[in-house]
Amino acid sequence: MKDLRRILLRFLSLFTNSRAEAELDREIAAHLQLLEDDFLGQGMTPKEAHRAARRTYGGVEQVKQLHRDERAFQGLATITMDIRHTLRQLRKSPGFTLTAILMLAFGIGATTAVFSIVEGVLLRPLPFDDPDRLVVLGDNLVGSHWTRPTVTPPDVRNYMRDTHSFLHLGGYQRIGRELSGDGDPVHIFATRMSGEIFSTLATAPLMGRWFTQQEDEQHQPVVVLSYAMWRNRFHGDEKILGTKILLDRQPYLVIGIMPRDFEFPLVPGHLNSSELWVPLSLRPEEFTAGYAASWNFRMVGRLKPGVTPAQAQRDAQLVAEETMKNYPGFMRSLRIQSQVTLLHEDTVMQARPLVRTLLIAVTTVLLIACANLAGLLLVRSIRRRREIAVRLALGARPGMLLRQALVESLVLSVAGGLVGLAFAGACIRIGTSLLPETLPRIREISLDWPVVGFALALAILTGLVCGLAPAFAAIRTSVNDTLKEGGRTGTAGSGHGRLRSALVIAEIAVALVLLTASGLLLRSFEKMRQVDPGFRVDHTLTAYYVLPKERYATQSGVDNVTKDLLRSLRQLPGVKAAGTTSSRPGSGNNGGIAITVEGAVPRKDAELNMATVSLVQGDSFQALGIRLLRGRVFMESDKADSQLVAIVNRKLAEHYWPGDNPLGKRVRRGMPETPTPWLTVVGVVDDVKLGSADGETAEQFYQPATQQAISEGAFAPAGELTGTYGCIVLHTGTPPEQLENPLLAAVRKIDPQLPLVDMQTMESVISESEAPRLFNTVLISSFAMIALLLAVLGIYSVIAFSIALREQELAIRMALGCQRKGILHLVLTSAVKLGAIGCLLGLLTSTAVSHLLRTFLFGVSPFDPLVLMLSAVAMLSFALAASALPAMRAANINPIIALRGD
Amino acid sequence: MPSRENESIQLLQGTLDLIVLRTLDSMGSQHAYQIASRLEQVSGSLLNLNQGTLYPALVRLEQYGWIKGTWGKTENNREAKYYAITRAGQKALGEETQRWRRMAGLVEKLLVEEF
Repeated sequence: MKDLRRILLRFLSLFTNSRAEAELDREIAAHLQLLEDDFLGQGMTPKEAHRAARRTYGGVEQVKQLHRDERAFQGLATITMDIRHTLRQLRKSPGFTLTAILMLAFGIGATTAVFSIVEGVLLRPLPFDDPDRLVVLGDNLVGSHWTRPTVTPPDVRNYMRDTHSFLHLGGYQRIGRELSGDGDPVHIFATRMSGEIFSTLATAPLMGRWFTQQEDEQHQPVVVLSYAMWRNRFHGDEKILGTKILLDRQPYLVIGIMPRDFEFPLVPGHLNSSELWVPLSLRPEEFTAGYAASWNFRMVGRLKPGVTPAQAQRDAQLVAEETMKNYPGFMRSLRIQSQVTLLHEDTVMQARPLVRTLLIAVTTVLLIACANLAGLLLVRSIRRRREIAVRLALGARPGMLLRQALVESLVLSVAGGLVGLAFAGACIRIGTSLLPETLPRIREISLDWPVVGFALALAILTGLVCGLAPAFAAIRTSVNDTLKEGGRTGTAGSGHGRLRSALVIAEIAVALVLLTASGLLLRSFEKMRQVDPGFRVDHTLTAYYVLPKERYATQSGVDNVTKDLLRSLRQLPGVKAAGTTSSRPGSGNNGGIAITVEGAVPRKDAELNMATVSLVQGDSFQALGIRLLRGRVFMESDKADSQLVAIVNRKLAEHYWPGDNPLGKRVRRGMPETPTPWLTVVGVVDDVKLGSADGETAEQFYQPATQQAISEGAFAPAGELTGTYGCIVLHTGTPPEQLENPLLAAVRKIDPQLPLVDMQTMESVISESEAPRLFNTVLISSFAMIALLLAVLGIYSVIAFSIALREQELAIRMALGCQRKGILHLVLTSAVKLGAIGCLLGLLTSTAVSHLLRTFLFGVSPFDPLVLMLSAVAMLSFALAASALPAMRAANINPIIALRGD
Repeated sequence: MPSRENESIQLLQGTLDLIVLRTLDSMGSQHAYQIASRLEQVSGSLLNLNQGTLYPALVRLEQYGWIKGTWGKTENNREAKYYAITRAGQKALGEETQRWRRMAGLVEKLLVEEF
């Protein structure tokens, strides 16, 4: 107890030092006075009494030191002293202090912000219990080149029934549903999933309960709401539990509400995350024909204790072999391979390249910031060489000077770190609002304590590293030489000079790497903008619609409403052409289907012939502005019972019939063994970019939506209706935004409950598809700008300080007759020399790291000479500009004053 | 020839604290000079201390919370810092005295048995 109290007091005394010293002085003075009084009383002379009092008391300074040692922790006291000393020193040179702190704040702030994002995306565990056991199970369809493993409905059943490696395993599919009844009808994103998935994820509902596997299998119409859906649509009313809502105009019983953080599937893009969950309840027809060959489902499971993903994959492969054995004839050539990956891997896969690039950019900026700080400290320590020499001569221990230098850089870096943290907080706010929606769990990104720890550790490391070099330079100071020089300091060619030059060169090189990266990305973006998408971008309005099956149960019902819709759209004022398509260009490629081409040699390598199919109605080619190259577009006469026709794109035509006339050739859906009818090619259109303009062009073909079911042959599920959904496309004579309300009104008139989904002008569709590349480009470019700014600052400060050191040398040169122009030349030449070496190194480094960037480039080689040259020239001119100001100042030195100075 | 009586004693670690506490306890509040004079008087200059040597002990005891210093005036109207023992100090003095007695007794016993 008493010891604790004392430790606390000894620590606190560090901060009340001056008061305690004053008190001690007063007490000692009083004590001496009393002694003196007594000695005077004994008859001594005042002088003798004074001396006797001191003798009796003992050494005043020794007593004071003993008192201090007793009063406070002296090890700490020296450090507080050092810190006070440093703060005094720094206050005396605010320019240096501000530059150093801001530079570090920049570096550390950017690093922290990005680390937070990396942490949020890659390192943070999944928001589920024991996430390391959660896996995704799916098939790789050999020859399809699909990127994410998916499964078919029979797969879901087979894997769930026959595997032994999973504690729980279930399938799910993301779907769209029309939610109506209470308020305006809206289209929502939902997920149908096995009851087992709830056990897999092990997240308790906020209210109510989850549906069970049994309810799933019994096709119970129950629904679990997301927190957001519950709050927004149902105003957080708990009474919603036990009531019914209308999904696709069918009643569903609300049985549960999930907590706010629950998100499943963890999809790239949080804007369309699932708003509610319904049982998977696979329908009988989903096990037959085309459905059985549709890899549109995914599976997630929890591994049994002790089972590795690899073991689970072997287990699943056995089931897959059995599944393939039971394939119907028309699927017999298909081969699947089971794949088990960790859910975490699956979730972060898409974000990884971007995050990695960011990390590299940020490290670069931090390196430059550190180099700058080191350079500044180095120059500073050289300027203080005389002071240090004097202190060494007066008996300062080298260890003490080293400690002071370290304390100085640590104080700077901690201050920089703190300012940087504030900066990072702001950056994360802005950054998360700018990030592409494809970054998963973006809402979880925030500045948190591990990140703060990382930043401070980084700040301290920077301080230690940046402090050591100048500190050693300081203690290597030779007292004799420095003092003999009499202040004629800093002639070129010293070891410090070389270190300084090396730092500047490194900075230029590293900044140039980022500059070229940003240049290459800018060029890629420009190239992407130049790509001809193959369709009209302006004066086009689009919106999706889905006819609910419950309301439009017969083909004639669907056909009638479609006919009405197209007719009223064409009559809208300002509409030049109207049509619908199943795949809106610029919105993403849906993966494609296998096709068979008449006369084409079957491929031996098990590769499938894949093509993307679009089902169109009305004047969709005219509405989209897709150019017809040969033949004709579809007409009213292309009906379900007339000749089956197709229009192919140029790429598909050139692939299968190079140099031949494609008109009259025949293709069909499915593999060679699939019994599907032939489609006759009646037209060839230009290639269209279905995804973003920097993506691959797919082989495409178009069919009238009316002929879909018949062309699917054995794939066609019984009772399948065609033309039940599509994207309305309007070519307008007026600005397309003006037609949004007339379009809505026209649709309402035909079916007041039918919602339109994702109404957008083609221009905004395109800018959305460009967003990820734009983001990468802006991000890397802003890092390049920061790097450039820091490098310029670094060059400027080092050259300016060097010139301040060489002031006398330059003055002597001028006194001896050197022209001002000569001085200018001298300084600029040295800057250009550094710049040139730096640029050369930078270009070499750029080529060495080019492979990291290659995946982000489009239409540009990583060695693009124009970009490399321009960046190098820009860097060099910036270096020159940065040294011009100090050079000019050097040329304007007044030699008389400079020489008189010391 | 120096006599044995004139040889000064090296002060044992911690004993100074005990002596100061005891002095303040029996004499009431005292300033550093008074404490030092009292020490010299009692020890008959056996304890040859510089008066300043008291100061570390005073700051230590004050930090333990056993004594408390306040500024006051001497009868000659000189200012001086008077130290008084606190309640905690009195308790500590009791314990320390006990400890010292046990220790002294032990040492005494050992010394006696050795002969």
